[in-house]
Amino acid sequence: MTLPFALMMLLGQLVNMCVTALAAFAVTMVFRTSTTTNFAQGSVAALGCYYTAELFGKYGVPVYLGLIAGMLVGVLCGLFIDIVIFRNGKSVNPVGKQIITMGLVSIIFGGIPLRFGNPERVPFESLYRGKEAANIIVDFAGGKLVVSRHALICLGVTVAVLAALFLLLKFSKWGLAVRATASNEFTAELMGINSHAITAISWALACALGVLAAVMYAGNGTAITASFMTTIQVNAFLACILGGFSTFYGPVVGAVCIPLVSTLVSFLQYLPIEGAAAISRWNMVIVYVLLMIVILIKPQGLLGKPVAKKV
Amino acid sequence: MARIWDKLRPSGSGKLLRLSQEYDRLRRELEDLEAEAEARPAEPQRNKTGADRLQRYDARAYMAKRAANHAAAKAIFRAVREGGSFDEALRTQEKKLARIEDKRRAFAARLERGGAERKPAPAKQKPSAERVKRTAAEKAALEKKLAALETRIARAKGSGHSRISLPDDVALRVRGLKMYFGGLKAVDDLSFDVKKGEIFGLIGPNGAGKTTVFNCITRFYNATGGDMHFSGRGGEAVDLRDFRVHDVILHGIVRTFQNVEVIREVTVLENLLIAGHRGYGSSLVAQALHLPVLKKEERLMRERALRVLEFMGLTEYKDWYAFGLPYGVLKRIEIARTLMCDPRLIILDEPAAGLNDTETAELAQLIRRINKEYDCTILLVEHDMGLVMDICDTVCAISFGKLLAIGTTEQVQADRNVQTAYLGASEEA
Amino acid sequence: MKMHKLRRLMSVPLTQIILFAALMTALQLLSMAGLIPNSFTYAIGSTLIYAIVAIGFCLLLGYSGLASLGTAGFIGVGAYAAYYVMESFGMPYIAALAVTLAISVAIGVAVGFISLRVEGLYLAILTLGLSEILRNLLMAVQATIKIDISNARLFGVQLNDSGAYMLVLVTFSLLVWLTSNLIDSPTGRAMLAMKNSTSAAQAMGVSLMKHRLLAFVISTVFAAIGGLLYMMYVRVMTTSVSTLLTMTTSLNILGAVIIGGAKSLWGTTLGAFIVYGIQSMFLSKIPFFQKNPAFITMLTGLLIVVVVMFFPGGLTQFLSGIKAKLQRSFRKVREDIYGKDLG
Repeated sequence: MTLPFALMMLLGQLVNMCVTALAAFAVTMVFRTSTTTNFAQGSVAALGCYYTAELFGKYGVPVYLGLIAGMLVGVLCGLFIDIVIFRNGKSVNPVGKQIITMGLVSIIFGGIPLRFGNPERVPFESLYRGKEAANIIVDFAGGKLVVSRHALICLGVTVAVLAALFLLLKFSKWGLAVRATASNEFTAELMGINSHAITAISWALACALGVLAAVMYAGNGTAITASFMTTIQVNAFLACILGGFSTFYGPVVGAVCIPLVSTLVSFLQYLPIEGAAAISRWNMVIVYVLLMIVILIKPQGLLGKPVAKKV
Repeated sequence: MARIWDKLRPSGSGKLLRLSQEYDRLRRELEDLEAEAEARPAEPQRNKTGADRLQRYDARAYMAKRAANHAAAKAIFRAVREGGSFDEALRTQEKKLARIEDKRRAFAARLERGGAERKPAPAKQKPSAERVKRTAAEKAALEKKLAALETRIARAKGSGHSRISLPDDVALRVRGLKMYFGGLKAVDDLSFDVKKGEIFGLIGPNGAGKTTVFNCITRFYNATGGDMHFSGRGGEAVDLRDFRVHDVILHGIVRTFQNVEVIREVTVLENLLIAGHRGYGSSLVAQALHLPVLKKEERLMRERALRVLEFMGLTEYKDWYAFGLPYGVLKRIEIARTLMCDPRLIILDEPAAGLNDTETAELAQLIRRINKEYDCTILLVEHDMGLVMDICDTVCAISFGKLLAIGTTEQVQADRNVQTAYLGASEEA
Repeated sequence: MKMHKLRRLMSVPLTQIILFAALMTALQLLSMAGLIPNSFTYAIGSTLIYAIVAIGFCLLLGYSGLASLGTAGFIGVGAYAAYYVMESFGMPYIAALAVTLAISVAIGVAVGFISLRVEGLYLAILTLGLSEILRNLLMAVQATIKIDISNARLFGVQLNDSGAYMLVLVTFSLLVWLTSNLIDSPTGRAMLAMKNSTSAAQAMGVSLMKHRLLAFVISTVFAAIGGLLYMMYVRVMTTSVSTLLTMTTSLNILGAVIIGGAKSLWGTTLGAFIVYGIQSMFLSKIPFFQKNPAFITMLTGLLIVVVVMFFPGGLTQFLSGIKAKLQRSFRKVREDIYGKDLG
């Protein structure tokens, strides 16, 4: 195994990292403002992605416009969930909210085939064809390094979006309101913050980010199905507790760690040991076990702060 | 790994505690049995009184009257619909009602006549006599077990070489207690003795570390340093640091909470049963199968809980859900819970907070009664100086985790340090 | 007077269980006589399996206040144990049961220890991770498991569909009985105390470790038994395709418990029938839904959303609300007719 090869394998996970990071950030956003986890995150993302794919494939709309349309669908879904469903429910507790999002998963799962007919499609195959080369090839350390253009675009977009969001959270008035709501909704309301609006915006933002992540993921050549974001979503949840829910950047760090560690574990199969090749089959198992050990050692997450309990 | 092992290991100094616990449990069972035997025969007798029978007859008569009214109403409807007079229906109804009334009067008269000679009802008394015999047998068996346990406890005491010793009259000895949270010294080198059977008050300004002391004694916090020795069940002095938080109750240390922690999802009675949790001896299998062992224990525990509720004046609330009960009642439920655990040291965390003057006065009475009737030591934290000075035998004042003064109420009141801590150093205060 | 006695008898869990079992047996007999379609009772049987899993989960969530999303993985453990013991080694059902119990108790203890360190939502997601570990592990071991009907034996008797149905029913009844007993015992109350206030529970002498471990062991064992029965009943599972071992199942079980009312065993059973039963028992029989199976999924989802939105206490709360309303209106009618003093 050469260095360029190892580096290439790591770079191969770039899209995965970006997608997981965006999804994890979305999960944290929802969790911090409404203390619940959105299990419909992946399904809403898939729904938005279907719209983007349809606009792109059927009507030839440029992909960025299609993406904006898809994200709008996500925003509408998010607002619908928060404003129409949660606020009209009778004293729904966090677990109840989780169950509602789970019911939404079923609705979207059933709805997607009705709206889009055939359940599976590969939408973005023509995205890079014919224009420039899909891959960029660089000479590096005595070998050739092949990086897909898509991965670089994803990296750029993700970094830009997350940086913008972090700056907003840190310095804008809106960010202060979000952080206040996240730390204590009741007190925030007493201080004159419209926490309803903050929660609604968080849901809209989270779902839009989900759609963005889904489109990036599909652009990497993954077939779009109603459930194609499930694995990413599970990883995003795990990334959140790995990084710790108590900060906004923790989950992003966790999201980068999971694909990274998974690649590092997969390097083990090149070890000159008998049976090492079988390791690739156990890749995810090993990653999850490692993750679990880390969380058991640091229950509040890698970057989380411990919370003292008062008796 | 060491931590997990630490969690698995049974805490405390095994044998003597186990024996004394079993002893106390059997003792209690004996008491319960006696109480039950006293209460049991009274019930059937009361059922047999004339008034009771008449009442039951009245209920039947009421039903019959209702049926007659129903029938009349139906007949009237029919009459209205099909045309015709409903005089007849009314007449039938009147006749029926009169007959019922006659019968009832006759029954009452018969009861009055026959009441005197029928009252003893010897036939029905028999099962209760049998019951008494069975209870006696159970009692004898229990007493035998108790005697056996007593000798075993004496032997365990003799062989046990306790590494700590406490004077006979001291219930709890705290020496050099330290609790640091990072750089904050919440409790710093605090020492005091609580004597057996006294009411001991811990006072101090806000943030003085009073509740922290409680949390250290009940093991909610792991003290940074210092010793806490308690004269445990079976009379042997134990080091409280050997116990985990849910095990200190085995020695009879029970506490209440500042922000009332009553289980809101269950009834008041069940709250008390939860407090009796460690008093059950039946295994998990017995519980899953509802074996007779468990049923008997449940019965005894329930009766015991009812007695405690009566003592606390909470009987009327027994089937209420704790959710939504007034604050004063919740506070009393918390205290009632401590009485379910064979208490020897009750720790009350601000029992008077949120109570009005009358309720506080009642509370003072109650604490004294508990202290006497349940024969246990009481340690309390309180801001209400009236209450503290009223009921406490010894008062200990602390400030910023350090001891200011300890002694009788008068001594502490006169102490200059205490006055400064409470009122500030300025002259005009 | 008699009415009163009957009502008291009906309030005993054992009577309810016996009645339920009798009703379900009658349905099976009817289907064997050809009066109702086989597929109907088959759907009941598979729903009962999910109900078993849900009841174990009810004890965990409703009584101990611990959330877990690892249910699917635990089901998988039971299913694979059944496959290996019965198909590969050709041993009888009892042996499979013993192995399942042993493994699931071990896993339950492990998760119980985790729950002492990690709490709340973190625990839910961590168990989700655990479930993924188990799923990936099982999938890597064997992608498709299948038990031949000749190997599905209980006490040497080969179990056909109706035999397996009865096995499921008996297991369900037994487990519901045990659980209802446990709930109404010091242990059940200690769990409730733990759910409401850990500090009060500890001060009352309730060991958090013991009861958390117990709750997890019970729910894991029930889930694994569910998996075992699934293999006895359905006899085949393609792990890589089936959604049985994915997050969906864990969420559906959670949904069944919440919809039913987290503290009621019959409510939970009802919840399982809504989440799993309605689609397989009724909707799949209607021609419209047969043509558009997507609508079934949507309808189930919609039902879940509506129930949780408007009846946060679950269907138990809804039904008791209806009962109270009916009683009130009956009394009103009676008073209107006969006057107030009679009511």
